[in-house]
Amino acid sequence: MGKSYLAKCQVSMEYLLIVALTFVIIVPTTYLFYNYSRESSQEIVDAQITNLGRSVVDSSETIFYSGKGSKTLLDLNVPDSIDSVIIIDGKELVFNITTTFGVSEIVFFSSVNITTISSNCELNVCKIPKLSRSGLQKVKIEAINKDSVSIEVI
Amino acid sequence: MRRKSQAALEFLTTYAWAFIIIAITITALYYFGIFDFSRYLPQKCTFPSQFRCLDFSLRPDEVRIKLVNNLGEDIQVTSIDITNDASTPISCTAPSTPFSWTHATDQNLIFASCSGGAYIPDTRVELKISMSYYAINTPSKPIHLVNGKINGKVLSS
Repeated sequence: MGKSYLAKCQVSMEYLLIVALTFVIIVPTTYLFYNYSRESSQEIVDAQITNLGRSVVDSSETIFYSGKGSKTLLDLNVPDSIDSVIIIDGKELVFNITTTFGVSEIVFFSSVNITTISSNCELNVCKIPKLSRSGLQKVKIEAINKDSVSIEVI
Repeated sequence: MRRKSQAALEFLTTYAWAFIIIAITITALYYFGIFDFSRYLPQKCTFPSQFRCLDFSLRPDEVRIKLVNNLGEDIQVTSIDITNDASTPISCTAPSTPFSWTHATDQNLIFASCSGGAYIPDTRVELKISMSYYAINTPSKPIHLVNGKINGKVLSS
């Protein structure tokens, strides 16, 4: 009877020790990997937006120098942290993004005059609201006249 | 009956003692920072790739950060601020602004005389840096904002 009781005690103690050891390993590891993945995802979003912005600006410059009427269609994967996209002075393509450490602007500079649908423009600022929607977007880039290139999400 | 009651009471007393010892041990471990897992994270400086962070150092009374202008345009920096989430945020003397920054060059930004914000030697801190700038060649010179973060340990001396 005594022996059996002691054996049960040992089994339950060993069980508790294994559970405790598992917790000691899992909790810090989860915390470390969670933080690491959060920072990595921020870097991935930054790389995605850089790739997206550079694609739009590079294509705009190529289309501009191809002459009036030239156009191309880009399939772009837009990440979900973009709040808005605007064009300022026909020169700056600005992505307003929300990061874990605040709101930032990622700006791309075009050497050619860029614009969008005239109804989305007010003074020197043009908005491209559809380009801030996450997911796959089709962007049409067209040299509408000899001076400017239009960027439009279709 | 009495014997059973005594056994039950002794069991409960032992159980209570075990709980008290465990609670005190966990509190002591927490007090000495054993559960502060953030100190095992790598020291890091995170900025958007357009202002890539090349290096940083957290000295006892100053924060140094080296950024490179990858915008492809010359800019004018109008303001720089440093803060953190402490109840009394860190306060430093920011680099004097405005200053111009040529593209593809790096800048050493030094925040001097830092105090408050739990900025204590040998502790882990998370600092947020925000910078405003405009492109010199853009006609209307719109101001843009960029935010970055430093997560690291303050050097002891």
